Amino acid sequence: MEKQYSIRPYQRFWNTTGQPYTFLLPALIVFVFVVLSPVIMSLILSFYKFTGFDANIFKEFTGFDNFRILFKDRYFWISFKNTFYFVAASITVQIALSLILAITIFFGRFKNSVLIRTVIFFPAVLAPVSISLAWRRILEQDGLLNQILRIDFSWLASPALAIWVVIFVSIWQWTGYNLVIFYAGLQTVDRTILEAADVDGASWWGKITKIVIPTLTPTIILNIILNLIGSFRVFDIVYVLTRGGPVHQSEVFTTIMYYYSFSANGPNKMGVGSSIAFIMFAIMIVFGFIRIRLMRRGEI
Amino acid sequence: MATRTFFKSRRAGPEGEYGIDRKKDLGFYIYSRILIILTLIVILVPVLYIFSLSLRSKETVYQDFLFLIPKQVTFQNYIDAFEYAKTRLDVSFLQMFRNSIIATFSSIIIAMAIAALASFSFSNYRFKGKEFTFTAIIASFVIPAQVLLIPLFFILRQAGLINTYLAVIIPYVGFLIPIATLILRSFFEQIPKEIKESAKIDGASDIRMFFQIVMPLSKPAIASCIILLFLETWNEFIFALVFLQNPKFQTIPVAIAKIAGGKYIVPIGTYGAAIMITIIPVLIIFIIFQRWFIAGMTMGALKG
Repeated sequence: MEKQYSIRPYQRFWNTTGQPYTFLLPALIVFVFVVLSPVIMSLILSFYKFTGFDANIFKEFTGFDNFRILFKDRYFWISFKNTFYFVAASITVQIALSLILAITIFFGRFKNSVLIRTVIFFPAVLAPVSISLAWRRILEQDGLLNQILRIDFSWLASPALAIWVVIFVSIWQWTGYNLVIFYAGLQTVDRTILEAADVDGASWWGKITKIVIPTLTPTIILNIILNLIGSFRVFDIVYVLTRGGPVHQSEVFTTIMYYYSFSANGPNKMGVGSSIAFIMFAIMIVFGFIRIRLMRRGEI
Repeated sequence: MATRTFFKSRRAGPEGEYGIDRKKDLGFYIYSRILIILTLIVILVPVLYIFSLSLRSKETVYQDFLFLIPKQVTFQNYIDAFEYAKTRLDVSFLQMFRNSIIATFSSIIIAMAIAALASFSFSNYRFKGKEFTFTAIIASFVIPAQVLLIPLFFILRQAGLINTYLAVIIPYVGFLIPIATLILRSFFEQIPKEIKESAKIDGASDIRMFFQIVMPLSKPAIASCIILLFLETWNEFIFALVFLQNPKFQTIPVAIAKIAGGKYIVPIGTYGAAIMITIIPVLIIFIIFQRWFIAGMTMGALKG
């Protein structure tokens, strides 16, 4: 009798609280050591001066020096501006394009609807690196684009255009991804309402703006959030297409952070790199708050 | 959810589709055909062009540019690309693929195992701090991965792991767990309570229930999830670039990125062939598992 009782509290713990925590433990360990501590460490490191060769990186506390260096750097502000362009284009042009395509395919009664969607989607599964390498060849002076246009222009070497070319390639790759999400959203449009509108003789434009778009609002917001998160952290495409060049004119946050911290011909100032990470983190937190506010207002 | 909605249209067939009437809305009909054909051209031509370059001989590389079909088909470029990788990139294509496969599949297996347990915990129990831990794990979604780059570099170097597979597997597992947890949790929650309860009455322990009921019922979600994780890791670039500086360990994206702006001039045909070697395997997998790819990628999004 005594023995049975002694085992019970443990079993009760196992059945009520022990099990969920045990199952959760591995995930929590990874989260704490691989995500949480590095994030905190990164925030702290932005107040230290150190290079990639240092053994002890918490040696030289410099206060806000890293941020001062950064804010004085003209190229940082270019990266700021370019990241903004990147995000803005991906949440406007790319969303509009994918939405138009999704609605067109949905209403168009295409026999090969699935095939069309699959083809437009397929760049999204390829490595951004492979895609950028391919586009590099096309945009080269002796590449396909100049051959078609019969001009001699170096697209990726143009200081004014380089970032827009990069943004174009990004849109080329990811429009199909947004499209497929929109198409899934379109399945929720109530067909009986559409058919009723047909009986009333509504035009296709009226049906789209009055019935389809309102139903799709949550999907539009979802796609905007996805593109915002994705384009804010873009690195591969910029790195492979331009390396941030010519003369840092197509730099974005991540590439200038790489330049400061790891690039072989960069200044090897990892503290400054960390302060860029700090700024990126802070901006994402602000976005997160905005999203929560929107959710509270019931817009998502 | 996403899986279901996506395939519904397919099963329903053309007659189930709502759409414009060709006779009544001729304007829309013409517009839709033109737009879609243009889009398909813009999407397909770049890839076909690179493919066509990879098949051209050195003499004809600048000829028949608009006709994507090359005058003379040769596979010499592919042989050259293999040779080029070995001598100039210091890592053969086979080695690159091996590295990518090891890094990707180890990360997926570890992340799926951990995430499945965590999702089971989230979906099957009520406990203190549940919503908070879930939100914390999901929130790491939003953090740009690059924020972790510098600290992880020093942590991994301290541990002597830079230039080993673990240098990328550890961060990948960290990123994949939130994605997988998000998808699996919501799927596990859809499993009817009655099934679980009847198993409990039969005396099955929770662990047995996890392996014999929850996991087998979730096969479609697990398959889509694996594909999503596969794409995230297989295509990952910046962590592999920084943590795998030894060419012998480099994954495909890092190794292949060196052909652009590298020290050696690459012949155009070889360049095209090298890109195609990285694209073709993914393309084949994509064609075979098409449905799962789209389901997996939209699923991750729709759950958020």
